[in-house]
Amino acid sequence: MTAYTVQMEQLPGLLAAWSTQCQVHVPVSLDNGFYDFGPWRPGTEIAFEYDVAYNPLKRFFMPPREDMVVFDLETYSAKPVFAAPNILLFGVHPYDVKAVTQLDQLMESGSVDQNYFSRRDATVIFALTPMAVSETAFWASVGADKVDQGYDLYWTKIGPGTFHVEIGSGKGEELLLAAGPLSPATAGSREAARKAQVRARNLGLRRKLNYDWHETPHVMGRSWNASLWHRKAEKCLGCGSCNTVCPTCYCFDIREEVDEKLKTGHRFREWDGCMLNGFALVAGNHNFRPQASERYRHRYMRKGKYIFDKIGELGCVGCGRCVRACTSKIADPCEIFNTLWEESRHEI
Amino acid sequence: METEPVTLTSNETCLLSAKPRIAFFDFAGCEGDQLQIANLEEKLLDILAHVEVVSFREIKTGHGDDYDIAFVEGSITRPEDEERIKEIRSKAKVLVALGACAAIGGINCLKNFMGEGFYRDVVYGPQAGWYRTYAARPLSAVVTVDAEIPGCPIDRLEFARVVKELLLGRTPWLPDYPVCVECKMAGNVCRFDMGKMCLGIITRAGCGACCVTEGAHCWGCRGLFPTANLDAARQVMDRAGFDRRQVQDLMRFFLGDTRAGL
Repeated sequence: MTAYTVQMEQLPGLLAAWSTQCQVHVPVSLDNGFYDFGPWRPGTEIAFEYDVAYNPLKRFFMPPREDMVVFDLETYSAKPVFAAPNILLFGVHPYDVKAVTQLDQLMESGSVDQNYFSRRDATVIFALTPMAVSETAFWASVGADKVDQGYDLYWTKIGPGTFHVEIGSGKGEELLLAAGPLSPATAGSREAARKAQVRARNLGLRRKLNYDWHETPHVMGRSWNASLWHRKAEKCLGCGSCNTVCPTCYCFDIREEVDEKLKTGHRFREWDGCMLNGFALVAGNHNFRPQASERYRHRYMRKGKYIFDKIGELGCVGCGRCVRACTSKIADPCEIFNTLWEESRHEI
Repeated sequence: METEPVTLTSNETCLLSAKPRIAFFDFAGCEGDQLQIANLEEKLLDILAHVEVVSFREIKTGHGDDYDIAFVEGSITRPEDEERIKEIRSKAKVLVALGACAAIGGINCLKNFMGEGFYRDVVYGPQAGWYRTYAARPLSAVVTVDAEIPGCPIDRLEFARVVKELLLGRTPWLPDYPVCVECKMAGNVCRFDMGKMCLGIITRAGCGACCVTEGAHCWGCRGLFPTANLDAARQVMDRAGFDRRQVQDLMRFFLGDTRAGL
C-alpha cells in the first residue's frame, strides 16, 4: 500500500491548500474538557490527541434537519432538494470511519437515500489512529480499532512531529500531494505506524466485551425475555439521546411547512429515534412499541442483532457516546451485552 | 397533567370561514406572548392577509365579539376569570392557549405553594382584602382547549406555524419528545456533563433548546412532554448531587400545576 511520511511543519501548507477546495473540519478542544470537530481556519489548534468527538459525525451526511423537497401550492408542483458541500474531515478515529461505512451500506440498500449520498460523495475522510480513549469507549473489543476501508487517507502519528500516511483513494493521494512532493514511507515508518496502531488497540481494550463480539447476535437471540429490559427501562427518560448521539443511528421523521403567504412550502426531515415514544406511533393513535421496555429492547436488538443480520457487522462501533449522553446511566451497550452474555451463556 | 392538544374534528375546522376572524385575550400574565407575535413583523403582515383580526389590544384599537379563533394568554387566577374564559370559549370555534401561563399555569402557580395570606399581602398590600383570588391554573382546568402554543415566551415561529396549520385545516402539531432531542441537534454539551441542573430531560421540545444553546439550562417553560418520566428525572438529579430543595424549586418554577412540582 502506498504511504508517505508527513512532517508537522508541512501541515499548515496542506490545510491551506485543502481549504481552497473544501470546508475542512478538524478535532478541536472545547473549553469544557470535551472535544468535537470544528471548522479549520489558519491558526486553529488541531487536537490530535482527542479521545472522542462529543457529537457524532453523521451530522455531516445527515444534518439534524434537512430540506428534501420544495413545493408550490398554486401550481401543484414540487422539486427535490440536494445539498452537497465539499467537506474534508481530518482526524477521524477508525470507529467513526466504521460508523460511516456502515451508514453507506444501509443507506444504499433498498431505496437508495439520494440526499445522504449527495453529501457523502462530496466528503473526504482522513482517518487518524487514536492516541487517547474516552472513559466510556470499548471500540477495540468490537473490532473497530482499525479499518481497512472508508477513508481517503489514514494518518498515524509516529513521532512528536511526524505522521505516517497511508493512501486510501486517488482523491486522498491527490490532496496529500497538493502542496508539493512528500517523502515515501520507509520500512521504519511503517513499523512505527504498526506499533502505534497496536498501542491504540491496547488503549481501546480498557473497557471491553467479555466474549468475542461475533457471538453478540446469538446472545441477543436468546435474550428476548430477559428481565434486564424491564430493570433498565424503568429509569429510561425516553429522551432519545442514545439515538441522537449514536454515529450509526439514522432514523428520521418527515414533516412539511408552508410559508406565511400559504403559497410555497418545503418538506424536510429531522432526526428521530426509536427510544422516543412517538417513534412507533402510527395512524389511529396505535403505537406498536408502547412500553419503554419494548423500545429499550428494540434499540439493543438493532445494535446487537438486526443490523448484523443485514450486513454482518454490529450496529454498535463502541464509541461510548451513548454511555455518556444517557443522564439516567442505563445506555451502556458494553455492560448490557456482557450482562446478557453472562445470563445466557449456559443456555443451549 | 393532560397537555396534548385536542384533535380538531373535521366539523370544527370546516366551521372556519374563508378568512377566519381571530381575537386575542389575556388573563394573569405579562402579555409577552402577544409581544412575540407583534415581533413577527413582516411574517405577521403576510399572515394577516389570510385572517381578520377583530381584537388585539397590543397592536390595534377596537374590539369585536365575533371571532372564530381565540388566542388566550395568561392563567386563570380568580373566580371571575372563569366566567370570562367560559364566555370566550362559547364564542370561539377554536381556542388556542398561548404561552406557559395559559397552557400549563406557569409561573403564576408559584403562589399555589404559598399561604393565601402571604401572597395576598405581597400582591395587594393594604388592599389585600378587596380582591377575590384562588389557586392559579391553566385554561384547560376550566375550559376545553383545542391547541396550545407553550413556552415563556412563546416561540413566534411556532405561533406562525400553528396558525398556518389551522388555516390549512390541519391539526396543530407539537413535539411529543423532550428538549434533549433538540439540544443534541444543536450540538450542545449536555448541562449534566457540565455538572449543572437542567429540566430538558422532562420538558417538551419545540424551542430549539434555545436556553441551553445560549449557555443557560432548561427551565421547563414548555411543560412536561406527554411521557416524561419524573421518577427517573429525580434519580438523575439525585445522582448528580443536587440538593432536593433546589430541584423542587426549579420544578415548581414553571411546572407547579403538574405532578413535577410536588
